[in-house]
Amino acid sequence: MNSLNSRHISGQFNEDLERVINLVMQMGGIVEKQLNDALTSVSEADEVLAKIVLRNDYQVNNLEVTIDDECTRIIAKRQPAAGDLRLIMAIIKTIADLERIGDEATKIAKVTLESLTNKHKDLLLNLDNLGRRVLEGLQDTLDAFTRMDVDDAIALHKSDVKIDREYEALMRQLMTYMMEDPRSIPQVMSVIWSARALERIGDRCQNICEYIIYFVKGKDVRHTTAEDIEKL
Amino acid sequence: MISVKPKALADSPNKMDLENLSPEQIALDIKGLNLFYGDKQALQNITMSIPKGQVTAFIGPSGCGKSTLLRCINRMNDLVDICKITGEINLHGENIYDRHIDVAELRRKVGMVFQRPNPFPKSIYENVVYGLRIMGEKNRRALDEAVETALKSAALWNEVKDRLHESALGLSGGQQQRLVIARAIAIKPEVLLLDEPTSALDPISTLVIEELINDLKKQFTVVIVTHNMQQAARVSDQTAFMYMGDLIEYSDTNTLFTMPNKKKTEDYITGRYG
Repeated sequence: MNSLNSRHISGQFNEDLERVINLVMQMGGIVEKQLNDALTSVSEADEVLAKIVLRNDYQVNNLEVTIDDECTRIIAKRQPAAGDLRLIMAIIKTIADLERIGDEATKIAKVTLESLTNKHKDLLLNLDNLGRRVLEGLQDTLDAFTRMDVDDAIALHKSDVKIDREYEALMRQLMTYMMEDPRSIPQVMSVIWSARALERIGDRCQNICEYIIYFVKGKDVRHTTAEDIEKL
Repeated sequence: MISVKPKALADSPNKMDLENLSPEQIALDIKGLNLFYGDKQALQNITMSIPKGQVTAFIGPSGCGKSTLLRCINRMNDLVDICKITGEINLHGENIYDRHIDVAELRRKVGMVFQRPNPFPKSIYENVVYGLRIMGEKNRRALDEAVETALKSAALWNEVKDRLHESALGLSGGQQQRLVIARAIAIKPEVLLLDEPTSALDPISTLVIEELINDLKKQFTVVIVTHNMQQAARVSDQTAFMYMGDLIEYSDTNTLFTMPNKKKTEDYITGRYG
């Protein structure tokens, strides 16, 4: 928390860090909106909205490049240490995951552009349920990142298992559809890709939670068990 | 999920348990050291073990006592009349402040290099052999060998081997500082104390000295005081952060610069108000 709310002797360093943190928030906001719009475009069969999502992905990509650039400059000029260093590392890694979440959102939007018949509408309803849960997870993760709240990060990290379960249930349902009506395979496959994209977003949120834990606790919890994280 | 503990959660490989070093691992054992300049207490109850064959850095703001502590290790503070010291600094299990300790002998074992290079106004050769001559070495061949070995260890040999008998004052600042280090190591000390050895040097000479410090630790225990935190991070294995005469935090350098334990340390190394 220290790095977020106490001041450096160098005012310029404070400004540099504040600017980069604001850019991450801005990027998080855009990614969240992209996912929300992608899900809405699917549920409301809104092709215009889907195209807007595809078009806006460049904003996320541009921000990733800008933030990386700012972080490189801070490292070169300020040689950050301790909490500052962990913050910069957490930011660099977080924005890589945010960028990929942006990509996943565009994959979901593409489903809207596939011609799905009414018959598949209830498939999409289940996709929307999973989507809303994932979106909520993303919002909570970004919120935890803004506050660098390690307790929330640990709880969110743990809750990804619910998304995984819901994803598996949806997959089973989709398989049944395909078995019952092989002609529906192409349409069902595009729903599967979207479900897969959502599941990946859940994993990427989990990664961001790991970076929050790293920043606050100084422990790298990637590739560890839930019990290891609980012990922190 | 994998069951093998990844490296990051485990301790860093070179990390030493500084509080539980075995006697063989310890070069200097400082216990309850207090130092007063008149009424003013400059060091307060310093207890730390400095491991052998490693580089230990003292960092902290001006006046925190880091140079004072370094100077205690070869009793340079004896020269200050109003200075009073209590506690112990043990070298080979012997307190260097014991009455029977021969200070000249102690300083042979614990060499020191200062902020500004201070070569004697003599030839390069004579600077290096100065200590050996005082110790009574007269054999020309032994002296020649000692000069070559010391200058090679100090990474200066190639630059001066053809002008060993020219004045040392003709060398650049960085070369003079390496000459002074060569002079200090010619008498084969056990511990080398470096008091801000690069603060008067340009960045390239600084890097040469830092590289040298890394080589020197194979033969000596090095203790360095530096104002430059990045330098401490680059060259040292252990770092001690001092503040107003107290030892605030002492741990392996990797930990201190990425995850310090104390808020004061964090504030200092990240450049925040205390």
